[in-house]
Amino acid sequence: MSDLTTDHVAALAAALGLQVASDDLVEVTHRLNALIEVLEPLAALQLETVEPTPGLADGPPAS
Amino acid sequence: MADRTDLAFFGARQLAGLVRDRKVSPVELTQLYLERIERLDGRLRAYITVLPEAALASARRAEASVMRGETLPALHGIPYAVKDQFDTAGVRTTSGSRILEDNVPTADATTIARLNSAGGILLGKLNLTEFALGGTQQFPFGQPRNPWNTDHDPGGSSSGSGIAVAAALCAVSLGEDTGGSVRSPASFCGVVGLRPTWGRVSRHGSFPLSWSMDTPGPLGRTVEDAALLLQAIAGYDPNDPLTSHAPVPDYGRALGDSVRGLRVGIIRELTFGADTEPEVRDAVVAAARKLEGLGAATEEVSLRLVPLAGAIFMALADADGAGVHHRWLRTRAADYDHGTRRRLLTASLIPSVIQQRAARARALLRAEMLDLLARHDVLLCPTAHQAAPPIAAARAAIATRHEAAGRFFTRRSYVTPAALAGTPAIAVPCGFTRSGLPISVQLIARRFDEATLLRVAHAYEQATDWSKRRPPDTA
Repeated sequence: MSDLTTDHVAALAAALGLQVASDDLVEVTHRLNALIEVLEPLAALQLETVEPTPGLADGPPAS
Repeated sequence: MADRTDLAFFGARQLAGLVRDRKVSPVELTQLYLERIERLDGRLRAYITVLPEAALASARRAEASVMRGETLPALHGIPYAVKDQFDTAGVRTTSGSRILEDNVPTADATTIARLNSAGGILLGKLNLTEFALGGTQQFPFGQPRNPWNTDHDPGGSSSGSGIAVAAALCAVSLGEDTGGSVRSPASFCGVVGLRPTWGRVSRHGSFPLSWSMDTPGPLGRTVEDAALLLQAIAGYDPNDPLTSHAPVPDYGRALGDSVRGLRVGIIRELTFGADTEPEVRDAVVAAARKLEGLGAATEEVSLRLVPLAGAIFMALADADGAGVHHRWLRTRAADYDHGTRRRLLTASLIPSVIQQRAARARALLRAEMLDLLARHDVLLCPTAHQAAPPIAAARAAIATRHEAAGRFFTRRSYVTPAALAGTPAIAVPCGFTRSGLPISVQLIARRFDEATLLRVAHAYEQATDWSKRRPPDTA
């Protein structure tokens, strides 16, 4: 996935009605790029067939 | 009778016995903790709100019940404190934020109602990172400090819950754990912290972060106290439709049982991985050897997705949090601490394909953990990759994405696997660094098997003396 620039981040935020102050913009961009980069290895897994369900409280009890 | 400092550091179960036997009165205990808060908390900042009048009034009622010879509930006369994330009727509940500094709920959270019904005496509301998110730079109600070294981080988000127990500013406390927020402060402050199975304890009346991971959890100076508090708060709540109907066992019953023959899986990536500080690794390996000495069978196990757990967690839980906060982010952004605001803004912008991958990877990670737990009674690893870092380290500016990754994902990969899998986990003191900061071992068990988790933790605790040490300057 491509790197996001501060302009990209500001535009994405604006689309959600969020203003990102100039003091925050660089760090938010670093944080977002870091998260996307760290999770990039997931793209290599066959995840399409995995149902993204969280655990349910009343699932099977401890055995 | 023990001196007053010794009394303050007694466990809650021990204190409850002294109350029942009329060897100490609830009023005396409450006054003792209030005096300690007055004397020590200006430095530690565990509390946001202290409730001296209400606590003493409750204590007087509790004392009258004792003197009338009434049947007393388990926590009768025991002074406790709660993270300021839980609603308390008529008492300001800030979630650690200026945004809620005037918020006064009209009803108690289910957990608070249950603790009060069990006889607990609420001393006050405890400091936390803003909205239980972690990463707060400027705490609006005072910088919480680690009692073992006040220049160091007490952990979060239930910061005050860890400090107050470690420094004996209450008998026990309640925190909330979405991705380590009970276990991290327990680890850094050298106390016991329990994350129950998701669905075991009601979330009703607790300010939300992530609906599928939030769970209240107890902190205490002993495993026995964590069990005592869990007993009081566990069980189905019609106000939280995601609580389980499963019966609540007697958690105290199995505490004394042997661990002989139990199977312990040592998570290789977290215990021996390059991110784990050598002092932490050595202490955790020594804890595993101690369990072996008690008759448990240990072996190394692998969880291939665990190194990504912190990032998977943030892609999901933070996105949930962004949804909770979206309205305020649009209208009151300047009222957040800048660390919180930056985290929530980032979370608001996570691409949906990344969230989808994370959600599916979470399901894989959970399946791996449950498979391991089908073959092992508990999994073992460090609670944190390091002892409490300096407060100043968390305030340094983030200048690169590499710094962002190091700051936010590495440490979370130790505590988020249990959150992602919905399993219970407990942090137990297992040593100290050469500089005198606590180290903690984490145990993880099958869903709804807190009894085994507590049994193993208790056996380890009884075989060591780490939990008996007290922070300096807390006499």
